[in-house]
Amino acid sequence: MQETPYTYLDSSPSPASTDGALSGVSIAIQPNMSVRGWPTAAGSNALEGFTAIYDATVIERLKHAGAQIKGSIRMSELGFGLAGDTGATVLHNGEVDGLLVTDTMGEARMTACVAGNFGFKPSYGIVSRFGLIGLIPSMECCGIAAKNIKDIAGAMSVMAKSDSRDLSMPEFGAGLDTPRFDRVFETREPIRSCGVVKECIDMLEKDESRAFGAAMARLADRGLQIEEVHLKDFELAREVHNVIGAVEASSSTGKYDSVRYGHRAATAKNWNDMYMNSRAESFGVLLKSYLFQGAYFQYENYNAFVDAARIRARLLSQTEAALERFDVLLLPTRRAAFDPSSAHTINTVYDVFSWTLIANITGHPAITLPHMVACGDTDLGLQLIGPRFQDERLLSVAARLADLDMEAHHDGL
Amino acid sequence: MAYEAVIGLEIHVQLSCTTKMFCDCPNRPGDDPNTNICPICLWLPGAVPRFSLETLEKATLACLALNCDIQPRSAFDQKVYYYPDLPKGFQLSQHHMPLSRGGWVDITDENGKPKKLRLHHAHMEEDVAKLVHETEGRTPISLVDFNRAGTPLIEIVTEPDMRDPHDAMAFLKVLRTQLRYTGCAECSMDQGTMRCDANISLRPHGSDQLNTKVEVKNMNSIQHVGNAIAYEIKRQTESLKNNEPIVLHTRLWDPEKRITTFMRGKFEGPCVPDPAVTQILIADEWQQKMASKLPEMPHRKVNRFVGQYGLTHDEAAQMSSERELSEYFEAVVELGASPRTVANWMATQLLPTMKEHGHEFATLPVTAQRFSGLITMLEKNEINSNSARSVLFKLFETAQSPEEIVDQFGFRQVSDTGMLRVIVDQVVSDNMSAVENYKNGNKKSIGFLVGQAMKLSQGKANPKRLQEILREKLA
Repeated sequence: MQETPYTYLDSSPSPASTDGALSGVSIAIQPNMSVRGWPTAAGSNALEGFTAIYDATVIERLKHAGAQIKGSIRMSELGFGLAGDTGATVLHNGEVDGLLVTDTMGEARMTACVAGNFGFKPSYGIVSRFGLIGLIPSMECCGIAAKNIKDIAGAMSVMAKSDSRDLSMPEFGAGLDTPRFDRVFETREPIRSCGVVKECIDMLEKDESRAFGAAMARLADRGLQIEEVHLKDFELAREVHNVIGAVEASSSTGKYDSVRYGHRAATAKNWNDMYMNSRAESFGVLLKSYLFQGAYFQYENYNAFVDAARIRARLLSQTEAALERFDVLLLPTRRAAFDPSSAHTINTVYDVFSWTLIANITGHPAITLPHMVACGDTDLGLQLIGPRFQDERLLSVAARLADLDMEAHHDGL
Repeated sequence: MAYEAVIGLEIHVQLSCTTKMFCDCPNRPGDDPNTNICPICLWLPGAVPRFSLETLEKATLACLALNCDIQPRSAFDQKVYYYPDLPKGFQLSQHHMPLSRGGWVDITDENGKPKKLRLHHAHMEEDVAKLVHETEGRTPISLVDFNRAGTPLIEIVTEPDMRDPHDAMAFLKVLRTQLRYTGCAECSMDQGTMRCDANISLRPHGSDQLNTKVEVKNMNSIQHVGNAIAYEIKRQTESLKNNEPIVLHTRLWDPEKRITTFMRGKFEGPCVPDPAVTQILIADEWQQKMASKLPEMPHRKVNRFVGQYGLTHDEAAQMSSERELSEYFEAVVELGASPRTVANWMATQLLPTMKEHGHEFATLPVTAQRFSGLITMLEKNEINSNSARSVLFKLFETAQSPEEIVDQFGFRQVSDTGMLRVIVDQVVSDNMSAVENYKNGNKKSIGFLVGQAMKLSQGKANPKRLQEILREKLA
């Protein structure tokens, strides 16, 4: 018998309300999102037995809108990588309409890409982090994977609003409009031009490059204007994410002291020993090596962290500059040669997420579309990155690109 | 070789905010253990810090009171270390981008000369939990009280401008007064709302080098800070004389033995920008709004009291030593009492009596109105100083006005010449030998006779009038 893909399934009856915006929509989550009374171990022994004592803001809002929170899937330890994550299986089997995924390196997009779904990472900060157990606070946000853009827009319009419990969110108001996901399908502003990230294309394998080129040609045929664009420091994104991510992860996991919850070592000479033994026994090898790296960059090589932060700022301004000329940047979502579910080392995890990291580094919204970039049997996914805080515009462009491609396929037939 | 001490201080001051720094829990660390806690200050998984505006306001006011430059952009860092009092593994503090830089405090040095002591910077940080060690019983246990976790502090770091224990103590006194004036902090060293670590190094006289310093902790009064520094200067001087190198480390002051002892090597842990608390941007406008909330600071007030009320500098300094005291003083004066009498009576009578009764100005039953009534009666010679002191005691015990007390207890001073003459006649006839002495040139005897007359009047006679009448009679 196959192991269940869930760590927890809700046995309470479906919401009685039928007039909510999300009535009838079923959503699965990861066990790093607080639902009152649910085990919330975030895939780690360090949180073993921890039960959420309140609903995360996103959960509260989804429930309020009538969505059914079906259960929590299995996830990798604290969401680092996707090894052991059952999200793609649940989506692929069509067991739920949508899946919330913490997108730290591209996990929401990658899960969707593997499952043949749409996957969306919103602009950094537009979804409240209250009640979400994070690992890399400056990179991660609550993303969503779903069968169609409509469901993504529907859930996001409920979730993405300011929250007094998370002051790190941008202040919507005078200079900045609250994203209007309800208008994704209303706007018909023409698409100006799309930029293909040259530095990314240069790093593709031959077959990947051919597949991506074919997709671009098909879209161009349908009248889409596609040009090359440069993100000069794109190649450094991986190192930037690795250094900053490891440093933040090292701090974030500091609170798992195994005293108030989680796994506690059976024997210890004193408190210091108890911390060390418990933490040593709790964390898995992959996460532990990441935390070691973080400690190294925190203390022994802080300058590398400072450099990474500086390059991050450069990447941000390069991406912003590119998006002044283009509606969206285009690049593939995944690499053909790397299977997300079997990436067990830091290097292979970073290999898997090579093309998705950039949006986490810069905080831009990004979405992956399925079935558009076929490389042999592997769907590389078409990834779109849009301007920050114009998420509904990105979804709107994405929907039209998907339609265009569909038309192209039909015509081709 | 003669050495000069170079001293810098690091002072932690707890801000008197209603709530903690990153959550809504009451900022009352002294309550029953673990009653003022929530998922945020316990840092349970999923908690998101919410930086309180009140902390920023009070911290800004405190910095402005110390002449600091508020930085338009500041940010929190994580000071990473593992200890049971800090179970999230890092303390939120401002290391790379503090709230304020610069600033200074004016003191008077040991020789009475004015001296400006500069601040390096001041930043905000959260306090950690409190460990309670229970050593009795078979297994010693340590308990963690999270009431204090996340309470708002500012840390003030001075430049190494101090040269002797006097400088450091004077600095702390002025700092305390100025911060208390803002109403942002209580600054009580024995209550732990102000904590001071001292960094001390020595160098040859006349040199301007900075040598290896030693940090001393655990002083819980300003006097202890002075004593610890004095001891440390002596200890280091002896080390140098014996050619023993000074090594960077931390020492603990032992107030019983009055010595410092080795605690640990100095450890500077990692300090990385915190990604969860937003950066703080301060607009000029907001800073000006804060500056307008600053009360008149003590040194200005002293000058004004001298100019406006004709107090001596010492009197003015005393009347300005605490904001509430100064406000009380002015309130009494505004009701018509003469400033120097008020200052004198507050200093010598009211303050000691308050202390005896354990009253603060906030709880003082002797309102400015009642105290002013008392002083006015004294000034109008309706009562004498003896009676005034008795009335003052009654003012603490009853709700009556000073006039009612004077009437009810018959404290009213007898200045009526006719009545005083009757008393004087009686005293003269009862004390013939003293009268003789006076007449023979022993002018001091008049004091004795006045005393007898006062006794006879049950303390109510106007002593000045009595003396005049006596002199007249014996002339």
